Formats: sequence, structure tokens, C-alpha cells
Amino acid sequence: MTERHLIFHNDIQQIPQLACFVEAIAEEASLDQSLAMSLNLALEEAVTNVIMYAYPAGSDGLVSIEAVIRDDALEFILSDSGIPFDPTEAREADVTLAAEDRPIGGLGIFLVRNIMDEVTYRREDGKNILTMRKHLKQNNN
Amino acid sequence: MEVKISEQGGTMTAAFVGRLDTPASLEVSRDIQPLLDNANKTLVLDCKELSYISSSGLRIFLTIRKAAAAKGGKVIVKDITDDIRQVFMMTGFLNLFEVRNG
Repeated sequence: MTERHLIFHNDIQQIPQLACFVEAIAEEASLDQSLAMSLNLALEEAVTNVIMYAYPAGSDGLVSIEAVIRDDALEFILSDSGIPFDPTEAREADVTLAAEDRPIGGLGIFLVRNIMDEVTYRREDGKNILTMRKHLKQNNN
Repeated sequence: MEVKISEQGGTMTAAFVGRLDTPASLEVSRDIQPLLDNANKTLVLDCKELSYISSSGLRIFLTIRKAAAAKGGKVIVKDITDDIRQVFMMTGFLNLFEVRNG
């Protein structure tokens, strides 16, 4: 089991850092490129949610991501000290609607839920803590 | 991230090059104005060199699609990679666009 950390300010311009973070994890866990992209996407959506909703506009705050790499699963623990915000309660996009009827938003949390196998939220010590788990197939031998 | 827009006959083509993540999409949302202004024509969104897309990028595609539906134009998504196709499939976007590869 190994762990990796990434901490950054709630600035949307920091998002590209996630790509390098995921790339390092993908290398360590020998993930294929397609899974790495999906994880990058789920993390971007979760982090963007924090940046947009957890902290009032213009205020500074930190977003921390802890990645735990195990043989059978990857776990990403996202935490921030912003206002209580539970993305698992957020309204999810209806992806079956026609273009004319589709609202512009709501896809972020939908993507997180679809890519990850488990997504849980808790509020603890004044922090939002979102845990996202992805099971890994153990057929490398 | 770069969007290269060109026009030939009644067709406007926008080539998306690079990663369409959240900050890139904020910039690109300004660059696509010519497409919205010409949404009565055929719009080709060339994705051959689009390597990544997040929900903010999908929102840009949907904005273009909605503009075309409102103005009677047509949108063709061209040459998407397998990774982008996967995101389109997951979000139902494959049903919203005419996708042409090759």
C-alpha cells in the first residue's frame, strides 16, 4: 500500500495539476491509459465541485486529495474546510434527454458516480470528506 | 488547448486540439462564438486531437448542439478517440450527436 498527497488552493486554474497526480498513480498501480483518464475525470469533477461550491467566491481555501493505492482498489479522499456540501445529495443529470431538453449542468457528479465504484460523504471536524473508491481487477499474473 | 476554426462553403469546422478540462473550457467558451453565430449551417467539431474532456467541455458541445437545434443547423462530431467516445457514451452524448469516424 502506498499513499500520495496533493494539496492545492481553491483556484480552478489548479485543475491541470490533477493530470500529473493521476499519471504518477497510474504508473505506480500499472493502470491502463483509459482507466487513468476516467480517474482523472472523476477527480476533476469532484474537485471542481469543491472549488465552485464549498468556498465563497473570492475566498481562499485548500483542497486536499489523499490517494491510497492497494492491490485490489484505489481510494481517493478529498477534503476541504468549506461550507457543508454533500455532492452525493446533488441532483443528477438525466442523460436520456434530448439535446433540446438537457440542462447545461449536473453532469459532474453523475460522472463521479459512474466512474467510481463507491462514493461516500461525511462531515467531520468542520471538514467535507468525500471518499471515492475504485476496485481494481487482479488479473495481472 | 486550442480551437482552430475554418470555413469552407456552407460548413464551419472547429478543430479541438488538446485537453478540454475546466479551465480550458472557460477560455474555449469565448472562442466558440463564431460557431454559435453560424449555427444555421453545418458545424463540424473535429476531435481527432482532443485528448480529454470533462463536464465543462461537454457543456460546450451541448451549447453548440442547442444553438444548432434552435437555428436549424447541423452538428457533426468527427473522429473522436476511444477515450472520448467512452465519456460520450457514459453521458448519453452519443445519442445527441451525429458521430463520424474515419
